[in-house]
Order: sequence, then C-alpha cells, then structure tokens
Amino acid sequence: MAYKLNFLINKQPVEIAVEPHLTLLEVLRDHLAMTGTKEGCGTGDCGACTVLVNGEPVCACLLLAVEAEGQEITTVEGLATGDGLHPVQRAYIANGGLQCGFCTPGFLLASVALLAHHPHPTEKEIRETLAGNLCRCTGYDKIVRAVQTAAREVEHA
Amino acid sequence: MPKTQVIGQPLPRIDAVDKVRGEAVFGTDVQLPRMLLAKFLSSPHAHAEILSIDTSQAEALPGVRAVITATDIPEVDTYDPGHRFHAFLARRFVVFVGQPVAAVAADDLATAETALELISVQYRPLPAVLTLQEAILPDSPSVAHGHQTDSSESAAHGHTTVSSDKAVEKPETSPNIANRSIYAHGDVAAAFAASAVVVEHTYTVPTVHQGYIEPHAVTAHWDRANHVTVWQSVQGAFAARDLIADTLGIPRANITLNSTEIGGGFGGKIEGIFSPLAVLLAKKSGRPVKLVLTRREELIGANPAPRSVIRLKTGAKKDGTLTALEAEVLMDAGAFPSNWIMNVITTLLRNNYRFQAWRLEGMEVLTNRVSITSYRAPGGVNASFAIESQLDEIANQLGLDPLQLRLQNLALQGDLLADMQPQAWVGAKEVLMALAGHPAWTDSPPLRVGEDGLLHGRGIGMGSWGGARGPAAALAILEADGKVRIVLGTVDVSGSFTSMAQIAAEALGMSVEQVVMSKASPDYAPFAPMSAGSQTIYAMGAAVKEAALNLRAKMLKYVAEDMRVPETQLDINEKGVFVVGKPEQARSLPMVYQLGTEWFAEHGPLMGEGSARQRQPAPGMAATVAEVAVDSDTGQVFLTRLTTAQDVGQAINPLAVEGQIQGGSTQSVGLALWEEVMYDAQGRVRNPSLLDYHMATAADMPMIETIIVDTPGGDGPYGAKIVGEPSIIPPVAAVANAVAQTIGARVYDLPITPERVWRAMQAGL
Repeated sequence: MAYKLNFLINKQPVEIAVEPHLTLLEVLRDHLAMTGTKEGCGTGDCGACTVLVNGEPVCACLLLAVEAEGQEITTVEGLATGDGLHPVQRAYIANGGLQCGFCTPGFLLASVALLAHHPHPTEKEIRETLAGNLCRCTGYDKIVRAVQTAAREVEHA
Repeated sequence: MPKTQVIGQPLPRIDAVDKVRGEAVFGTDVQLPRMLLAKFLSSPHAHAEILSIDTSQAEALPGVRAVITATDIPEVDTYDPGHRFHAFLARRFVVFVGQPVAAVAADDLATAETALELISVQYRPLPAVLTLQEAILPDSPSVAHGHQTDSSESAAHGHTTVSSDKAVEKPETSPNIANRSIYAHGDVAAAFAASAVVVEHTYTVPTVHQGYIEPHAVTAHWDRANHVTVWQSVQGAFAARDLIADTLGIPRANITLNSTEIGGGFGGKIEGIFSPLAVLLAKKSGRPVKLVLTRREELIGANPAPRSVIRLKTGAKKDGTLTALEAEVLMDAGAFPSNWIMNVITTLLRNNYRFQAWRLEGMEVLTNRVSITSYRAPGGVNASFAIESQLDEIANQLGLDPLQLRLQNLALQGDLLADMQPQAWVGAKEVLMALAGHPAWTDSPPLRVGEDGLLHGRGIGMGSWGGARGPAAALAILEADGKVRIVLGTVDVSGSFTSMAQIAAEALGMSVEQVVMSKASPDYAPFAPMSAGSQTIYAMGAAVKEAALNLRAKMLKYVAEDMRVPETQLDINEKGVFVVGKPEQARSLPMVYQLGTEWFAEHGPLMGEGSARQRQPAPGMAATVAEVAVDSDTGQVFLTRLTTAQDVGQAINPLAVEGQIQGGSTQSVGLALWEEVMYDAQGRVRNPSLLDYHMATAADMPMIETIIVDTPGGDGPYGAKIVGEPSIIPPVAAVANAVAQTIGARVYDLPITPERVWRAMQAGL
C-alpha cells in the first residue's frame, strides 16, 4: 500500500505516494527522475547518494522515504541557483576536484555540510569529514584543495 | 604554422559543469518509457552441472515480463566456449560463484528480486579447482568445459618460448594451464655463480577489484524491427557493440551502441560483459530493460584483476650491477583465460633493468573463480611489487643507495627486452633523476622514531608501461556559427575530451571554446579504439590533430582562392582566416563556412579527416617515493608522504595529468595496504561490500605531489605520450620498501596488513 508523503526538496514542496519499503534514494531517482543523486553501493559505504536532510549529510540509500516525511531535503540539483553555481561547485571545477563525476554530487553535498559546520576547516578536518565518500579517480588531493578554495570564497563572499 | 597557445594549459574539464549540476547522464541514469528492471540469479557453486532450471513460478509472478536462461541464447557461429564474453549465462556447467544462470525483467526491482527466489535450479556439484597449487597438478580436474585445444601432450592454449639458446622446453601437463611462456637468455647459472649477492623470495598479489564507483549499467531497447539500441557505461563503444554482435549473432548494423557518461572503468568496463542479458530480456519482453549491478554483484562476479604468485631470484655484483634473473609466475585467470596479462607480468619483471642472463617462466592458470580482466596497467603492479622489492633488498645488502642502484641498471633505448626486441626510448633516467633532485628524496629522512611514537621510513619504487596505441579516426567539421565540431567514437573516461579540444584548437589556431566535442555512436563515428591502454590522447588525439590540420588546410585553400592571395600569406585565429600582417583583410569563420555550403559554392562543405595509423611505442615511466609511519604495537601502516614522478612527454593539460597521476598513485596505495577480494574454501567471496573491501578514503591519504617529466619519444600529438596507467605501478613497491626500511623486515604478500607487518616485525627481531 502506498503512503502519501510530503517533503521540501530543493525548497520546492513535493507530494508523492510511494510504497513504504522504498528508500529516499529510490524515490528521488526512480519516482521523481532526479538522477543527480547516485547509487554506488546501496549499503551506505560509498557516500555517492549523499543528500542533505535538514542540512545534515545523509546516505539516501539508508533512509526510507517515509522517514524523510516533512523534512527539508537538498540534492545536487538544488545547489545552483539558476545559472549561478554554488561556490563549492565552482571550486570543484576550478581545482579539478572531479574526474568521472559519479561520486561528485555526494562529495559536493558533504562539502557544503562540512563548510556549514567548519567554515575554516583544517586539511585533517576535511579529510576526516569526507572519509564517508569514496572517490576512485582523483586520489582526493584536488578535492581537498577544492574545499579549501570554497572555504576561502565563502569567507570573502 | 600553429603556435603553442593552448597545449600545456591547465584547463578544467569541459564537462565539469554538467557533472557538478548532476545533469550528466551515466549508465545508471538511463530511463525510458515502459522500461523494465532486470536482475540475475547467480551460481552459488564454484563448479557444478546444471541438471534443471524451473522458471515457471517466476514467470507466473505478476509484474514479471520475461525470464531467460541459456535456452534463450540464439545459436551463433561466433560462439566461443573458451571466452568469458560467451559465459554471460551458464549453459550446462557453472564455473564460478556468481556466474549468472537465469535473469528476470520485471516492472520494478522488488518484483524482479522476488522472481529470482521463485526460480528453482538443480545443481550437481563438481570438484572445484580453487588454489593455484592444485590447479597446476597433472591430475587436477579441468576448469574448462569444451575448449581444450590440445589433449595429447598439453592442454596449453598458447605456448610461447623466446630463448636465445633455442633450448627445447618440455611443459608439464595440466588441463588448467591456459598459457605458458618462457623467456630465456644467457647462462643463468653462471651469472648467479658470479654474483656477490643473490636474493630469492616468493611474492603474492591478491585478487583486487577496479573499484569504479558506478557499477556496470546497461539499458537495451528493441526500437525498430530487428534493431536494438543500447545505452551502456563502457570504455569502448566499438568493443561493446562487437561483444553483443558476437555473443547474440546480431548484425552490427542492427545495433546502436550509445556509450553514456561512465562512472569510472579502469579496465573493468571495456566491453561491458553484462549487456547480452539486457538485450535478450528486452527482446523477450518487448520492452526496454535496464540492468544495473549491485556492489555485491560487482565484487563477486564482475571481472576483477588477477592474483599472482611470483618466485623471483635476482643476482648482483658487489658494485650493484645486476647479473641474473630467474622467475616463475603463476597467474590466476579464473575460469576463462585473458591470454595476455600473464605475459605482461612475466616480461615486466625483466624489462626495466639490464641483466646478463635470465630465465622467466609464466603460466596463466584457470581456476573456478570469476574470470579476470584489465585493471589500469594490467599486471604491472604484480610484476613491480616483486622486482622492485627485490632490488631494494639487494641495495640494502650491498649497502648501496636504492635510487642509484636502479639508475645504474636501467634498460635504456636499444637494450634487449625479454622478447628479444630492442627497448624504445624511455625516460627512465629522467624520471629517477627528477626524484633524486626533489625534496621528497633530498630532505633528511624522517627520524626513525618520531615524536608521535611511531616508526618512520622512506622507500622508492619504479615502473613502466607500454600502453596501447591506436589506430584511430576522427572528423573535424566547420559549423555555420564558426565552431568546429570534432566527431569521434571514443569515450571520455579521464578528461580526454578536454585535452583533445586543446589539441584541435592548437592545430586550427583557434580557441578551446570554439571546439565542440561530439561523441558519436559507432553508427555515426569512424573507428575509435577503446579508452584503455592509455591510448586515448596518444592515438585518438593524433587522429583529432590530423583531422583539425586537414580542416585547417582546406580552410586556407578555399579562402586563398576566394581572396586571391597565396595560402602562405594566410593564417587562422579565433575570428577567421586573415592575411598575415593585414588582419583587416579577413574572412570570418561563418563566411568561410559559406564557401562550402552556399548556393553555387565552388567547394564542398568544409570537413577535415583524421585517420591515424598505429603509433610508435612510447613506454611511460613512473617512479614514486613514499614515506610511512608504522605503529609497532599494532602493525598499522600510515602513509605520510607520497611523490610520484612520471614521464608523460608534453602534458597537453597538466591539471588532467596531475589528476591522473594522483588517482593512479592512490589506487596503488590501496593495493599496497588494504585491498583484497577474499575467498573462502568453497570459492565464495567473503568481503563483497565496500565496508569490508577497503578502498582508500580521503582520511587515508596525504596530499600527493606530482612531478611531470617531459622527455621525447613516440609520435603522439604535440609530443604527448601515454599518461593514465603508469602511475598505478610504482607506489605499491615504494610503500612496501618504505615499510621494510621502517621495520627492518619485509612483507612479501599484498596487502601489507597490520597482522603481516606485526608478524614480520616479530620474526625480524
């Protein structure tokens, strides 16, 4: 039996009826066609499906959609405003912080949450906070630099 | 002539905006109307005969639209029972745990999963060959079914002997030795006897997974009569089309293969071995079908990289001159042979250094495990861990500097390789010298016992990779708005489209923003090699350069005729074609376009062709210095500093090149310290999750310093050489050597786990 749910996704109210066994990730990707959020493992180990729930990073594959009822959700599609990219998005591009780009949406959201909590993170804080997101292409060097750049940019903004 | 304006610029990826906005469409993201989702049932046995499969209950489940088993595979002339591609569904026998035996397409994933539980398979378990030691015994059960090529003397499929002595080698008989190679030269016994030091050990490298974050993903849709369109995350669109054509007997003209954005491949997604399941299910159901592997299915059943056991013996004179090399290589291919990776391992043991005499014997061995395939410089790590560990031990025993020992023994241009061919130009000396003069090497070594209470040390490793090299073709088309469209059938796995836009812009004399990279399916693109073997810039980049130069020449010719000035007085810039020294006398790019398109035009449309033959060899050299810290109580190793130098020739895009070196180096550290697909005694994977199969995280790694070395060699575009693969090779040995230097004992088995370090320390004390 389907449950009717209400969320605020990227500041837009969304109402949808879904089966109770579906994860937030399945609802986003398969029912709302928001495929920017990726699935790399489905078991919470890779972080590719990271979204923000009330500003906190969450693996969308581990959260049942019904648990997100009434919450405010941010996905990668909600970072840019119109054509204006979020400072974190710009910093990832400028620093070469992405290669294949599959892990990138998760990293971007984890980075946004990181900077919200630690506006001036040390390299160690960046590395430990992003350790829940796996990237197989970059070796993390340029991702760390991207977050450092974004921190400076947010500070000056 | 073109000026160097954009070659060597560190530009962000041209696809970066789509990717940070979440708009890039990967294989997993494909959605079509009426699309079904697929799951496959896989074998729980490493080796068994399938007595029966009953799918009737699954077929009766509401929401199930198709179920397939081997009986649904069409008979094809190209069927090859000895090839993994054709084992996408088990026929009479299952030969590894995880091999698909049936597949289902249903309205949703939950229904498909339920349907799998309703399929009943009766198996007769057979003796499974799971260790290399048992696999090579003459009386071992045979892994292969129906594809032994020689039953009289040896079941070896391939037998290569390259020996200057022309000695006749008698291989032992085992049904599981798929390929056996011997490379021999000189009097090995005499050379060992004349050595001041001889070191001999056995080195093991485990099965590892490529670890791309996007699992295999393929969607198939029979959209016209007898025509199927496939969207797939693959490294080689032409190779992926060939696989479908050869396994299912579909004419190539009836297959459209759209390669999507690919979430990493590293050799594991060259052809996309699961596509026949989706294509057959789509055919049977009459609806589009998408198949995406789970991470568990990836780690159990999707072509990992091979484990190997290498017995290696090396001799050297007192002054460090290497004398003799003897090796026995056992490489586990799993249930189907690669037919090449073992030869890479065996020859790479020898090829970076000069020896007076050698005898190398390699065997590619079949076992009842999932079959293996490429992983970034396939086999390079297996060989490098062994030989580079051994060289370090020799340097240590002789009291010589390990970097100098390598320098004095390098196999350079003209030296004979294991296959008795001369070495091409290699930048080995330059790469080592770049490290020798770098703070990574010249800084005082870390204090053995640091203020952190940990033990510290430093190590070096070197590696080389030959790379693939074409041929390749591309088109360059001038568009109405003055942009130049590059049409090509290759896949961008590493930022190569950005670098190729730079190559095209450089050749044309225009800006990168004026170049549009148009990836086309094999229906529309001329032949492109797979994005593998580090050949995309080296080979496809050469075709793009040729196409751009061909277009440029035609643009100059047309404008010269139109303006009645000699071609030699014309040049091209971002605005158009102009007279040198008189920029006001010009034809804008849209006007040039019209010279080949307007009514009564004297020329045909402006289009450049690039059809580049195979490139010359341009082996890539890389070397790494690693510093580690070891907790002597637990044996845990922390990587504290990593510097990799690599000869890439001219770096077309240094930002991309650095990213490749850093990424390859990090994968290598994972192989050194953490990664292993573990199997139990029944051949089942014990750690099929990313929690238990540990890949490097941001917290595991330091910043990675890169040194881009540019030496000549090869005939790549603008002096570019291969980039992607070499960097994965040397860090493994650099880390292993750093650990050995730190703890005063050596670990001969990867990964270098805390337990192994701790045990080595206890034994060494």
